[in-house]
Amino acid sequence: MRSVMRVGVLWVMLSCISIQSYAQADSAAVLFENLRSRLDVIKDYVADVRIKIDISFMKVPPLDGKLYFKAPDKMKLERKGGVSILPKNNVSLTLNSMFPTGGVTVIDAGRDIINGKTVKVIKVIPLEDAGQIILTKIWVDEARNLALRTETTTRDNGTVKMDLAFGNHLKLGLPDKVIVYLDVKEYKLPKGVTMDYDASQQVKPAVKGDKKRQKGKIEINYLKYEVNKGLSDKIFMETN
Amino acid sequence: MLGLELYKIFRRPRTYISFLIMTAVTFLIQLAMYVDGKSFVSFAMAGVGEQFDIGGNILNGYLVTYIVLQSLLIHIPLLVALVAGDALAGEANMGTMRLLLTKPVSRTKVVLVKFIAGIIYALLLLVWLAIVGLGLSILLFGTGDMINLKSDAFVMLLEHDIIWRYMLAFAFAALAMTTVAALAVFLSVFGDNSIGPIIGTMGIIVVLTIFSNLEVPLFNTIKPWLFTTHMIAWKGFFDAPVPYDAIWQSVAVLLLYIVLFITATIIVFNKKDIQS
Repeated sequence: MRSVMRVGVLWVMLSCISIQSYAQADSAAVLFENLRSRLDVIKDYVADVRIKIDISFMKVPPLDGKLYFKAPDKMKLERKGGVSILPKNNVSLTLNSMFPTGGVTVIDAGRDIINGKTVKVIKVIPLEDAGQIILTKIWVDEARNLALRTETTTRDNGTVKMDLAFGNHLKLGLPDKVIVYLDVKEYKLPKGVTMDYDASQQVKPAVKGDKKRQKGKIEINYLKYEVNKGLSDKIFMETN
Repeated sequence: MLGLELYKIFRRPRTYISFLIMTAVTFLIQLAMYVDGKSFVSFAMAGVGEQFDIGGNILNGYLVTYIVLQSLLIHIPLLVALVAGDALAGEANMGTMRLLLTKPVSRTKVVLVKFIAGIIYALLLLVWLAIVGLGLSILLFGTGDMINLKSDAFVMLLEHDIIWRYMLAFAFAALAMTTVAALAVFLSVFGDNSIGPIIGTMGIIVVLTIFSNLEVPLFNTIKPWLFTTHMIAWKGFFDAPVPYDAIWQSVAVLLLYIVLFITATIIVFNKKDIQS
């Protein structure tokens, strides 16, 4: 009789734990779907932006221009005849490209604090193996239904981390500022080709460790949005 | 006296050969860029292009001018040597040196006037380079942001932030060419015909340029003291931020060489037994 009772108690406890974890996973999935459906509302936008590129081998001043975006992954920077620089397509600068599409498994990963605010952390794993994204970790402000940070592990481009700040364009669910942290490969050209003027006149010490990849940061400040104006695909094919 | 020296320089056909050579090389580079510049740009940008999409008018007049300067500022010293190397040796060769020195002017003044005439010639070469290099390139290719590819950095300069850099770069190039003129005048004091000083100047520049560019630790200690290492400091104006400290250091080294060469020329020339 005692052993029957023990089995019963154990069964009840296991059931409770499994119900709780199912409920957590379920709420995480709902959270993710809410985020994704909010993003789906934005079909395209044109934004006045100021881009700051902070990558060790790139000396680029802040670039002002118009950033064109069309869901799911088209993006173009236009700079009134000037030179534009954006990461290659597969390392994109929008949330849309950081969220896996299609079927996903969503796992509750607890809570964290960003800028003094407690947020929920979820992990999203795509069910399909073919895509670029292997795993996305999202820090979600539940009250406002906003992603404040993402960390996406890609198949070919390492891990891309993105911080988002919201303010003036909160109603649209679009950020005022996005900071993308990305892995970049080392850049080298033979000195015989460039004939550099070496200002330091000193032999540079060899860099220890992994010289092949470095961390970089791109900050985009969105000044003004025009949303869902029905942008044509041609815009993204034209060269500036 | 300066007018007379300039007259002597500009009445010789070979003086204009330098302008023709420079024009021809500039046209060739511009033509090559006009016809197949996109291939050149994609080749040069391959390192960055595999990670970033770079759009817009990259192949503009400013970039083409930079390529022209990079190619020509190695050769202009040779053209300057062609005239400055002839300064004193030419007089000796033609047997007019003693006649020249019968005039009521000091030997020091003769050296200085010939040196200044050489500088004016070098400046005119640079002005001509600015016209055909910068002016024509802007006409042909338009303006825009400029990309400067260094061995370990990708530098981008905004369109409105470029012209002043070219002005300073040309001013610096004038100082570098003055150094070459000073060297050529110095060698010229030893020669009885122009060939020796001209070839001597060219040879010294070629050998020292090789030393300056070779990545061999053995040469690293002497590199900062070679004037050829500092002659390319004009490139510093196209960096961000501009390495002003290093550029001033280069200016100081070049000025030191100019003073050294001209002082040595004056001393040797004042002591020289003129027999021609």
